[in-house]
Amino acid sequence: MRSLVASRSLLPLRIVKTAARYSTATDANATNAKREVIRRMLYPPNVRNRPSPTGSWRPDVGRALQRAIPSAQAHETIERAWKLYQRHLRKKRDAELERKFECMRKAMAELEDIDPTLFREANKTEDPRARSPAETEALKDAPSAERRAIESRMRGLFPRELKVPTDTPSKEGWQHEWRPFDRPLH
Amino acid sequence: MLACRSIRRGACSSLVWRPAIRLFATEAEASQVTPSLPPTSSSEVDEPTTRPLRKTRASLHTAIILNRSPLLTRTPTPFERAFYAYQARIHRALHNPFPYDFYFKQGSPLETRFNIEERRRERRAFGAPFGTVKLEERDEATELMEMSMRDETDESMPRIHEADLKDDLKNLNRKGQRNLYAMLRTNENGKDVWRLPTGPVEKGEPLHISAIRRLEDECGRNMDTWLVSRNPIGVYHPPKLNVSEPEAKNAVFFYKAHILAGQVRPKQSRYQDFAWLTKGEIRRIIDDEYWNGIRDMLSDF
Repeated sequence: MRSLVASRSLLPLRIVKTAARYSTATDANATNAKREVIRRMLYPPNVRNRPSPTGSWRPDVGRALQRAIPSAQAHETIERAWKLYQRHLRKKRDAELERKFECMRKAMAELEDIDPTLFREANKTEDPRARSPAETEALKDAPSAERRAIESRMRGLFPRELKVPTDTPSKEGWQHEWRPFDRPLH
Repeated sequence: MLACRSIRRGACSSLVWRPAIRLFATEAEASQVTPSLPPTSSSEVDEPTTRPLRKTRASLHTAIILNRSPLLTRTPTPFERAFYAYQARIHRALHNPFPYDFYFKQGSPLETRFNIEERRRERRAFGAPFGTVKLEERDEATELMEMSMRDETDESMPRIHEADLKDDLKNLNRKGQRNLYAMLRTNENGKDVWRLPTGPVEKGEPLHISAIRRLEDECGRNMDTWLVSRNPIGVYHPPKLNVSEPEAKNAVFFYKAHILAGQVRPKQSRYQDFAWLTKGEIRRIIDDEYWNGIRDMLSDF
């Protein structure tokens, strides 16, 4: 990164003078040190005559920004490139969803054509609180682990076991051995 | 995430009533001509009155698209990495100075460690002279902490599993970023064919129940699966092999399910092999006709 000024000083490039300037100086005979710490964090002093650990900006904000942003035009170009890239991603994602939905719509149209009863069955909304009689029967005399597994599945909602993707996999990996148990079909 | 939507045709309410009238017509005619089945049979086709009287049955099948959703986040592209680094530098330049004394007890080892890590981050973001240590600030505590930090190792698991290196198509740890789909290999008319688990619908059974039953039957019970919705996500008409029933239209309705744990154990009598494949790999092993039927239902990545 180029820097406009060759000097290696860490003083700020410009000093901001706001209308209301206050300094939250610690009381000499402060009874509660913790309270002072909190007060300094909540009301940081904005008098810019020396670098301060708690303030609106870091003391060398100008120099840091010089290093971070090459130029106004470069910044504009980067922003536009990013927005264009996001647009491409969005269009691809939307096109894929559109294709999937179209498949679904055609399938439902065909089903209605072929068999109206099945169509009506497929169109019923699922009540998450409903529990079929088969499920209540299974819950009565199931061991606690199985009961938890059956209870956690609410119809029409995503299961808890469907995990969010992570950056690194777990130590055990995929659980290929899974013990089956009698779960009522829906 | 997508909510489970049901497709309603509220605007075309007249279409909902038409089947009832059609049933009446066919029942009256059918009782004169041929012995009729009860009109609410699930595998019957409702013919409009212009078609011939002879009832033809469309045999319904359900198939399951069993999906293992991605376990890992996607690797960022070089452009994404560069942009995020750029934005992080700007944020670091502009953000409020951190209130160290509020979060760290003065003189504690955690504070020393934070200071060391923060100096390294500054140096990485802006370069020298940012992140230099003034001579008077260097003390024994910092040096001890630096030594202990040097001995630390990153204990997280690598993103590429050994199943990727060995190309083990049955292992569900392969290709953690992608969506994997279960395909079964069967012998049809002397040819080896890869396809999704399929099977006929029994009478009087809703399609989604039939789908779950078919999945358990063909892929075994050693899996924790979840059927996404009562709605089918697609339909496929396999090509007609015999010309004896010209009117019959076989329809295969696809249902989406997720596998959450366990492994597929295909029915030995019908299937010889199984594999967990990405969309591109499926493209290479199935024929064009079947591919055109299922391509739009699978996720691209």
